[in-house]
Amino acid sequence: MGIGTRDWTLHPEFIAVAIATCVATQLLLSWVSGKGLTNNIRSAVITALGLSLLLRTDDWTTMFIAAFAGIASKFLFQIDHKHCFNPANFGIISALSLTHNAWVSPGQWGEDWWYGLLFLGTGGLILKRIGRWDTTAAFLIAYSSMEAIRNLWLGWTWDVFLHRLMSGSLILFALFMITDPRSIPDSRKGRILWSVAIASLTFILRNYFFLPTAVFWALFILAPFTVFIDRIWSSSRFTWFKAGKLELTQLHAQISAPNSVTS
Amino acid sequence: MSRLFRLFISWLLVSSIVFSLTPTAWAFCGFYVAKADAKLYNKASQVVIARDGDRTVLTMANDFQGDVKDFALVVPVPTVIKKEQVKVAFPKIVERLDAFSAPRLVEYFDPDPCAPVYSINESAPRSASFMMRKSAPHGRRDLGVTVEARFNVGEYDIVILSAKESNGLETWLHLNGYKIPPGAKELLTPYIRSSMKFFVAKVNLKEFNTSGYQFLRPLQISYQSPKFILPIRLGMVNSSAAQDLIIYILSPKGQAEVTNYRTVKVPSGVNIPVFVKQEFGGFYKSMFQTAYTREDKKVAFLEYAWDMGSCDPCSAEPLNNDELQEAGVFWLNSPPTNQISPRLRYRPYPTSGVFITRLHVRYTRNKFPEDLMFQETSHREFFQGRYILQHPFTGQVSCDQGKEYVRSLSQRKEQEAQTLAQLTNWKIPDIRRKMQ
Repeated sequence: MGIGTRDWTLHPEFIAVAIATCVATQLLLSWVSGKGLTNNIRSAVITALGLSLLLRTDDWTTMFIAAFAGIASKFLFQIDHKHCFNPANFGIISALSLTHNAWVSPGQWGEDWWYGLLFLGTGGLILKRIGRWDTTAAFLIAYSSMEAIRNLWLGWTWDVFLHRLMSGSLILFALFMITDPRSIPDSRKGRILWSVAIASLTFILRNYFFLPTAVFWALFILAPFTVFIDRIWSSSRFTWFKAGKLELTQLHAQISAPNSVTS
Repeated sequence: MSRLFRLFISWLLVSSIVFSLTPTAWAFCGFYVAKADAKLYNKASQVVIARDGDRTVLTMANDFQGDVKDFALVVPVPTVIKKEQVKVAFPKIVERLDAFSAPRLVEYFDPDPCAPVYSINESAPRSASFMMRKSAPHGRRDLGVTVEARFNVGEYDIVILSAKESNGLETWLHLNGYKIPPGAKELLTPYIRSSMKFFVAKVNLKEFNTSGYQFLRPLQISYQSPKFILPIRLGMVNSSAAQDLIIYILSPKGQAEVTNYRTVKVPSGVNIPVFVKQEFGGFYKSMFQTAYTREDKKVAFLEYAWDMGSCDPCSAEPLNNDELQEAGVFWLNSPPTNQISPRLRYRPYPTSGVFITRLHVRYTRNKFPEDLMFQETSHREFFQGRYILQHPFTGQVSCDQGKEYVRSLSQRKEQEAQTLAQLTNWKIPDIRRKMQ
């Protein structure tokens, strides 16, 4: 879907490596940790596809390292059934920092509106199923507000602002990477706070440290705080938010039936 | 679950088949016949950016054609630039990079179909390039404007300015004899607020007259900054027309790409009718314009990406170490180990420690609102704009294969005509007529 027309350095063999590694690691570590072999193949495939779309490399071993690290992070860094890191994000950061031939191409998604809509549509479908649209909204609103203020202060015309926001990789990140229920806070309040924090850090890293990969580093740095946020807000959620309560019940149901979880 | 697993296995199989069909070896790339370099474009700017880590050496080719006393240049730069950070570069250096990386035309000749000889059919295109130039005035005084440095390099008088607000800067420039175009003031503000400095140059006529050069030489500045950008907005102040910019990025790692616009490869590796040999420049211009329009005029085109130790086929000899240093490469401290192999046929190619990326951006105000930002990657895949002429065998054929070959030619020609029409938007009857 669109892959052929985007001139990516996308190699089918690397996608195969990503999927094979993710699934094998998932099976192996499930078995080692005594969770049984049927544990959550779909989640591993989704992680592999996320890696294939976002991570660029010209060496299959790099993709292997990313895929392995991503899945292994789910087993190694886990507290109360929650993952400390988003597996695809952990894989990307591992590849960027441990190898010399990985990169992310923020510009390659272009800015076509129809692409944005396509992502929104697909993302909406997935989000509706898992009910985490609020992280996406909070992230996008916070990030675009900060960019808007900066744009106003610098005195650029508004097409500069729009151009900065119409980045396909930003939307992709907001829709798919920070909505994974297994690695984001449980309570709505916590999720919004957490998303705003990621948006702020992204803004700082992008505009003051000139990191093209800012979003991924922001998520990597802030992901472990999910655990603290959950400690603070998870109990209050039950009494204060009826909708939230429903969501949590659903989430628990998903966790107890791991095959239906998308992370 | 088992259904999923079966799906997955079949997917793996399919992709491994696709993979195994991918050619892994390079055949040799034909005989080089022509190139499409920066001279094709009327108003093309060329810049060379050599970058390793946070250190950047920026070379701006100067194609100013008016009276040199009217020449002035204002470039936003990330840091204060001192005299030792500026030099004038050897005028031919940008031409050398252009020639080396230009899209290229190659040709092959069909062998006698009746003689059992192997022929390999491939060719290489060359790329085109362009230059960037801005004009601006030069001045001094207080107005919230600080003259950070003032010096003379070669035929240029240079001041480095920092400003607190654009009104002051504009006034300063006016008072010092620079005529800045209307609308520039608003554009200066974002750079001032981003703490950028202004590199302002004009020609010192006395120095210029004694230098003996007929043309202005390229200005080269080096600085240390995490910002990997190229300001293009100032150059669009009083022009809504499309401007061509060719950027040569030299890196020790691999390909560079634009991070805030898409980077797209120019069409390459296609067989086109042999008459194009006489009009390759026109062909490349039309093809570029067609690709540019197809991509909605808002992408950067990759025309060349190669290790500078080799080329295949070569449109010009690879640059030697001295030339690379002249182009701004500063990380080659070791003694020259450049292995020049102009006709290297098989990989592995030698590694020179310098990877060149040639990007061609045709920009307009409405499609490129933001300055260009880049990143270097470790992507070391080679790419070149390369266009292939395949000459048919013209001798007598008497064997059966020969007759078969002659029959197949018309289909091949038609295919070449269609390809050419598609690439250039030229009318197919015109193409067919020229092929007669």
